Amino acid sequence: MLGWSAIVSSMKWIGMTPIWNFAGIYNYQSLYNSSEFWLAFKNNIIWLIAFVIPTGIVGLIMAYLFEYVPRKLSSLLKSVFLYPLVISPVVAGVVWAWIFDPQYGIASTIFSVLNVHLGWLGDPAMATFCLIIAGIWQELGFALVLYIAAIGEIPREHVEAAKIDGASYWAIFVNIVIPEVGHATLIVFSLLVLYSLQVFTLVWVMTSGGPGTSTEVLPYMMYKVTFDRLMVGQGAAISMVIFAISIIVLIPISISMMRRWMS
Amino acid sequence: MKAGKFIITFLVIFLAIIWLMPVYLMINIAFKPISEINVGAYISPPSNPASENWLEAFEALKTSLLNSVIVSIPATLIAVFLGSWSGYAIAMYKFAGSKTLFFFIAIVTYLPYLIFLIPLVKLIVSVGLFNNLLGMIFAYVILNFPMALLITSLFFQTLPKELQEAAAVDGCPPITFYFRVLIPVSLPGLTSAAVLTFTNIWNEFIIALSLSQDPLTRLAIPTLAGLRGSYAAQWNILMAGAAIVSIPGIIVLIFLGRFFIKGLTAGAIKE
Repeated sequence: MLGWSAIVSSMKWIGMTPIWNFAGIYNYQSLYNSSEFWLAFKNNIIWLIAFVIPTGIVGLIMAYLFEYVPRKLSSLLKSVFLYPLVISPVVAGVVWAWIFDPQYGIASTIFSVLNVHLGWLGDPAMATFCLIIAGIWQELGFALVLYIAAIGEIPREHVEAAKIDGASYWAIFVNIVIPEVGHATLIVFSLLVLYSLQVFTLVWVMTSGGPGTSTEVLPYMMYKVTFDRLMVGQGAAISMVIFAISIIVLIPISISMMRRWMS
Repeated sequence: MKAGKFIITFLVIFLAIIWLMPVYLMINIAFKPISEINVGAYISPPSNPASENWLEAFEALKTSLLNSVIVSIPATLIAVFLGSWSGYAIAMYKFAGSKTLFFFIAIVTYLPYLIFLIPLVKLIVSVGLFNNLLGMIFAYVILNFPMALLITSLFFQTLPKELQEAAAVDGCPPITFYFRVLIPVSLPGLTSAAVLTFTNIWNEFIIALSLSQDPLTRLAIPTLAGLRGSYAAQWNILMAGAAIVSIPGIIVLIFLGRFFIKGLTAGAIKE
């Protein structure tokens, strides 16, 4: 299927039925010259910075804090952070679209009481960040459970010995936890990057790429170009761009998983 | 340390309350008439809990909810069955290239499935299964097979080698071994794969959106997304619909949460 996409991406295929007119790198060239493509690309980079890094870091810190939560409470609290993962991104999108709705939303209601009037999803400069908050809300539980599992693998003696030596929370975190969860860090951050590369549903449900095209990301543009504008060759070219970026992220984690498991 | 623990627990509970707010608001609004919402009464519990929103949302969703059940359950079972067969082969028989194969399976499992969207839609259309629940089952089996394989093969790795050796000595053929010995002892691994596959399929949007244009064969998630247009400012009905389609996932988390976590952390963590 990948090979097929690669071939289609070099065809001038427009419309419902396949048109096998070889176009060489034409589709890639026109992407390169399209400002919409670069806007979507830029938004993906914003996701990379404002979504991946906070989710990963907060997930790690929270997982460490869970070490000190009484056992009886911890599985209940863990479920609270996990439930966004078992509901559809469409559901998350509907709820967060309402929260950030400029007219009816609870965010604008609360902030207008404080006499702060913001555009929320109606503001092109702000809308992507509203989407990212919904994304963090949904994916934090993923980073959390992976890090909780990784911290669980750290030999107890290491932590206990440090505690007896009177090490502070912070010292244990920096000197023991962070170095020993390196493998989980690789996986968590890689998979969060991959999530950000395929964020489609939240965009579709919450903003449809708008206002204007301000919240479009590569997957959304791929869908729109392929199924709305029916420029299949061009859509395939965008999917190959997503593929190229994904594979760079994926090779290291796949190698490390293979090493870890097939030894 | 005692005071520190107390502050930490308090902090985590505080964050958990924030994390629960969206779902509280969703359910709360779903019980309110639109008149109450329009005056900004979001947080207070409904003065007069109404079931009309739920009934209206259910009415709009019921055909597609049934479709989702018809698609997601068989697709899950087939994907996990096929995946576990292949996972078994990779985990149990170390052949030349099995490492490389594992590497490629890991890649395919985590590749954004959007990359396969265009060829997959064209494939389903060309075999005449567009607007057809069978087409969606087929697509979801293809897309979830690698993940089921990965999770089950990681699980099979943890089983003691003696199990298979003993069976081989007794002259037990691989197929009998699979059904009689392996399935019973691997139930946790298979359940993890099934739980993850099921929630993936039930909640999936873009494939379901692209493989059916017909309201009669549409799945629940794209139908809910469509309601956003037809009930534009009627947030109460939308929220009721959103809550209804979330029920299967929440049930899975409550009863099979342990397996869900196991599936999520498979690959990252060694037993």
